[in-house]
Amino acid sequence: MEKFYDIIHQAFDSIRSQKLRAFFTLLSIAIGVFAITFSGSLTNSIDSTVNAQIESLGRYTFFITKVPAIQMGGNDWFKYRNRPEISYRQYLDLQEKTEDYAVVTGSAKSTGFTVKFGDLETDPDVTLVGTDHNFFLTSDLEISNGRALLQSDIEFNKNFAIVGNDILVKIFPNNPDVIGKEIKIDNKPFTIIGTLKPKGALLGQSQDNIIIIPLSQFLTKFSSQWEQDVVLIVKANNPVEFSYILDETIGQMRIIRNLKPWQDNNFEVQTNESLSDQFGSLTGYLTYFGVFSGIIALIAAGVGITNIMLITVKERTREIGIRKAVGAKKRLIVLQFVSETIVLTLLGGLFGTIFGVVVGGGLGIFVGTSFTISVKWVLISLTISVLLGLASGVFPAYKAASLDPVDALRYE
Amino acid sequence: MNNQKLILTEHLSKIYKMESTIVAALQDINISIDYNEYVSIMGPSGSGKTTLMSILGCLDSPSSGSFYLDGVDVSGLDDDDLAVIRNHKIGFVFQTFNLMPRANCIKNVELPLIYAGVPADERHERAIKALQNVGLGDRMYHKPTELSGGQRQRVAIARALVNNPSLIFADEPTGNLDTKTGEEIMKLFADLWRNGNSIILVTHEEDIAKHAKRIIKLRDGLVIDDNINPTPIYI
Ligand SMILES: Nc1ncnc2c1ncn2[C@@H]1O[C@H](COP(=O)(O)OP(=O)(O)OP(=O)(O)O)[C@@H](O)[C@H]1O
Ligand SMILES: [Mg+2]
Repeated sequence: MEKFYDIIHQAFDSIRSQKLRAFFTLLSIAIGVFAITFSGSLTNSIDSTVNAQIESLGRYTFFITKVPAIQMGGNDWFKYRNRPEISYRQYLDLQEKTEDYAVVTGSAKSTGFTVKFGDLETDPDVTLVGTDHNFFLTSDLEISNGRALLQSDIEFNKNFAIVGNDILVKIFPNNPDVIGKEIKIDNKPFTIIGTLKPKGALLGQSQDNIIIIPLSQFLTKFSSQWEQDVVLIVKANNPVEFSYILDETIGQMRIIRNLKPWQDNNFEVQTNESLSDQFGSLTGYLTYFGVFSGIIALIAAGVGITNIMLITVKERTREIGIRKAVGAKKRLIVLQFVSETIVLTLLGGLFGTIFGVVVGGGLGIFVGTSFTISVKWVLISLTISVLLGLASGVFPAYKAASLDPVDALRYE
Repeated sequence: MNNQKLILTEHLSKIYKMESTIVAALQDINISIDYNEYVSIMGPSGSGKTTLMSILGCLDSPSSGSFYLDGVDVSGLDDDDLAVIRNHKIGFVFQTFNLMPRANCIKNVELPLIYAGVPADERHERAIKALQNVGLGDRMYHKPTELSGGQRQRVAIARALVNNPSLIFADEPTGNLDTKTGEEIMKLFADLWRNGNSIILVTHEEDIAKHAKRIIKLRDGLVIDDNINPTPIYI
């Protein structure tokens, strides 16, 4: 076998002799490998970010909602749509019936609100969360100034607000003393009782453009009568009995919603595990899509590489004749041309990988997830590049090895 | 075998079948060549010289007849076995030099040693020695394109010699060279012969053929004359 250097050298000669074709072929390998590494690494990052996020909500927390958080496929849309809302009444009932072993938080959320103070106002993009005094036990939001909601604020339907940083920056540009000030949310007056600690962005979206008000206020002032849907966040008091508490709570919820024993649940229960599973299948689709389009590009590249190598073999017929004349066995000729092909595809693969890691990293920074360069996917891509070289190089190499030495030496 | 020959052929023939015609490139060739002979195969264009050399050089197989090289019946061997024989026993020098244009002289001369499995260091050493033996000690790192025709042919000869073959074939080795350079190459072959090599020289030129000690004449694929040359040049 010749030295590795010689094989690389020959591979570059093959590229140089057919620049344009080689360029497009290397490009399509790079695109294919890029699609694979990039989607693989990006979904990895999203997964880990989402998991960290879910984890921060607490492992022993679950959600009761009317419809699932993520719906795959459209078939069940009507089934979910026709379910009765989870009402304020049901929320209070569940809170009362489970108070021995769990903390129930009710929450409702809507977005697109304008907040005003004096002459200053925000864009109509503020998210409003109606919730209760337990909210801060089950959420990772924290108060930086003032106080949280009290049970009495909800009971007596007080127009109090806890305001996120993005809003403060806009309507109180140089006024740090905001507690007690009266703001207008869609022209309805609210008194600031607290401010939220800034959290930064997640998936490109600020998490600080938010106002928290009593759930009762939210339902009476900001949602129409037929949209009185509350999300229930249940936190088990005792982690050890989590699964028992989960069952018990579901049982209570069925009683509250008047379900007969033979009827299915008309609400969704989402543990953090099931939520991260759903995210997992979403990112799984993303990965499949990336890998699939990557493979298409690689198949195209493989055909291109085979072509380049066939032309190379033809151009180097005489050289092959010489090699055979001085005693090269068939399999050494095969090995030489396959190795050259692998050097080619690996080169394209390397470009694609570097590109994928860089772009993936850039996008990761842009959308605010911590981007992890996925060594697994880099290795997968490079392995695929090698296999591609092998697959597309075997035929030309075999053709080279089967040349008749006399004919090859006579070839002009 | 007692008096084993280097080459022995019996009723050797080569027939090319094409769509409409059949060409008998060689017919009933019976020749025997000893170790350390210096033989010319001579004949007009199309007489079958290259075909004969290809078969004797194990590049090609005969259509019929038998061929013993070094006492071994070669006609039944497969491609890889023939490759091994070429690698160990045979060196080729061609009219068109047939060097690898992108590799320097040493790389070119090393090639047979690579396929012989010789370690890199030894390969390098032997290639340098072979190049020095043909008078190219000062051109070893040049590429063929940077050399004159005569120098290129010397590189080819060094490559033919580097694995110490028992037999060297030269097909019109001076065909692409001017007379003076051609003479220098012929002197080199005479030296090789004196050093114990067996040489088969293929040519259509009487003047070149006369350097050998024995001349086999071909016409239309038949041996028409096989005689000792009483006055070989340079010998
Ligand atoms: N691959 C082939 N297919 C068909 N016919 C061939 C083939 N190779 C050689 N021949 C024929 O065999 C005959 C002998 O050819 P060969 O090349 O041996 O001649 P030569 O004596 O070397 O001639 P030259 O001096 O021109 O090189 C010619 O008639 C040629 O056309
Ligand atoms: Mg010829």
